[in-house]
Amino acid sequence: MKWLSSIVRQEKTSARLLGVLSLTVITLAITFILPPVADSQLAGGAAIAIVILGLSWLIGWSGQISLGNSGFMAVGAYATGIWAAHHGSTPLIFTFFLATVVGAFSGLLIAIPSTRLRGPYLAGMTLAFSAAVSPIAQNYTSVTGGEGGLFFNTLNTPHWFLNFFTGPNATINANAQWTADLAVIVAGVSFFFMANLFHSHTGRAMRLVRDNDVAAELVGINLPRTRTLAFVVAAAFAGLGGSLYVLINATVTPSTFPLTLSITLLTLMVLGGIGTLSGAVIGGIIYAFSTNLISHLNSLTGINPTSNLGANMQGIIFGFLLIVTMLFAPHGIAGLGPRIRNRVRALRQVASASTGE
Amino acid sequence: MSVFLSSPLMHNIFAGLAQGVIYSLVALSLVIIWQSTHVLNFAQGAMAMFASYIGMTEIDRGLNYWLCLVLSIAIGFLFGGLTERVLIRPLYGKPEINAIVVTVGFLGVIEAVAQAIWTSTTRNIATPLSQIYFHDQGRIVLLSPFVLFQFGLALAIMALVAVLFRFTNVGLKLRASALAPEVARLLGVRVNRMLTLGWMLSAGVGAVAAVIIASGSFGLYPSDMDGILIAGFIAAVVGGLDSPVGAVIGGLLIGLAEQFVLAYWSADLASLGGLIILVVALMIRPQGIFTTSVSRRV
Repeated sequence: MKWLSSIVRQEKTSARLLGVLSLTVITLAITFILPPVADSQLAGGAAIAIVILGLSWLIGWSGQISLGNSGFMAVGAYATGIWAAHHGSTPLIFTFFLATVVGAFSGLLIAIPSTRLRGPYLAGMTLAFSAAVSPIAQNYTSVTGGEGGLFFNTLNTPHWFLNFFTGPNATINANAQWTADLAVIVAGVSFFFMANLFHSHTGRAMRLVRDNDVAAELVGINLPRTRTLAFVVAAAFAGLGGSLYVLINATVTPSTFPLTLSITLLTLMVLGGIGTLSGAVIGGIIYAFSTNLISHLNSLTGINPTSNLGANMQGIIFGFLLIVTMLFAPHGIAGLGPRIRNRVRALRQVASASTGE
Repeated sequence: MSVFLSSPLMHNIFAGLAQGVIYSLVALSLVIIWQSTHVLNFAQGAMAMFASYIGMTEIDRGLNYWLCLVLSIAIGFLFGGLTERVLIRPLYGKPEINAIVVTVGFLGVIEAVAQAIWTSTTRNIATPLSQIYFHDQGRIVLLSPFVLFQFGLALAIMALVAVLFRFTNVGLKLRASALAPEVARLLGVRVNRMLTLGWMLSAGVGAVAAVIIASGSFGLYPSDMDGILIAGFIAAVVGGLDSPVGAVIGGLLIGLAEQFVLAYWSADLASLGGLIILVVALMIRPQGIFTTSVSRRV
């Protein structure tokens, strides 16, 4: 548990707490302004942001690529669903804890055969895992509800929160906002944890393993254990995100987590910026409002949204963005800021050098 | 003997092999690319699907089945070459993750475009060959003229690839470019051209697999190749990503494993047969069963 204490005992922890806290409070304030539909979308985005953050940690910090995070999400989601079906009245915090632990455990299971693999082998292995989850869910009908899935209604809006709302759609508005606020708070806690993990002893060890595993081994870092830990943390985040994701929709089915979701997660992470907190936030925001953006784009270009092309617009644009970002701006949107700053600084140096002559 | 051919065991073996040759072809196509460029192409299945769909569209306009097969392979060639030139070439020398991400993105684009053009419904190519199973003393033998053709075609393609790589001048250049690009370049091999050729061949082999699937009784839908790509990938890893023979044997093995899981355990869990083999194989021999190269110390 040394790594856990090393996360907490740091000088800049308070600064990170302040940063995450203020961002969370601002987002909570925004949920009051947004219409109910946007609130629900924001909740989904927050859940996905947690998953992206885990993936970002795995790929950006430990250098291991996974296409299986939708599988880890499904594990957390089913843990939530199965638990809710039997013990609907347990406090939410316990449900989240359970989903996180079960997700982490699935990550451990996958990590054992996977962490010896590199690059493409690992990507394929994790892809095969995520493809196996929905057949398993389909097969064990008595536990998972099979094709029809599970339904649960665990996100009950408390009475004191309902009292804030009046008018004809009071309950609907309150539910949407309660969901969004809850998701934002869970995301805030996750981001705070990851921000500290990034700058902990474990985080630095992880980067060394990624950049030079021989050097890492020489300074006494246990490679298999470090790589496994990266997977476990990523899977825990995916499990938590998956749990939140299905709690918002109040249902989980085998088709909730298709293979394309893994592609979407990868796209959002790359687009936001690999290995950064802000990248995961950007990814979550894009996810939340992508349907709006796409339908706006459809209306701008005059594409019928119910036509074949309109329905597949998101797939085409996401895939295209993934390729273009990787080819031309591999650090994503979060990497654009430093890149422009460097460019400006270089130009300024050139300018001052020429005037100094 | 004749009763033996129609026994449940042989049913499963024939069905497993019929699926297995498809996996073998996909695995072989992955291995060809891996050998030449060390990229695992996640868009391989989708590219094959697209090529066969174009062939299918022409069949609907009255093209002959055999010409459709040739057309699909030709489009596969073109598609593979273009992909290497435009998408993959800028990534040489970059981290492995970049190529994985780009091919995954390409997979997304191709599937979405195919669904936009042809919808996500299953399509079928009508073959001139009969799909009706042979009968033996009133009992079904799980072989039809089409299945026999499927075996023959897959074998022919594999043999062609083997002959090309082993016995021709181009094959020698292809292998040299993959093994030692700098040396090959010094000796006058146009390495870049060989890499493009490798991708062309690979996509051509993939297109054959897609045409076979589309010609079968279950047909082909745009995201159908996802599962097949995974099975092909598992086959290639089990056999060793740098061993074409291993890929073919691995494919047959995965096909049989899935069929036996389906027959004796659960139809839903069929695709897990391959995953189980993969995990076991990786635990025992991570570099692949048929690989000859020295494993990298990491």
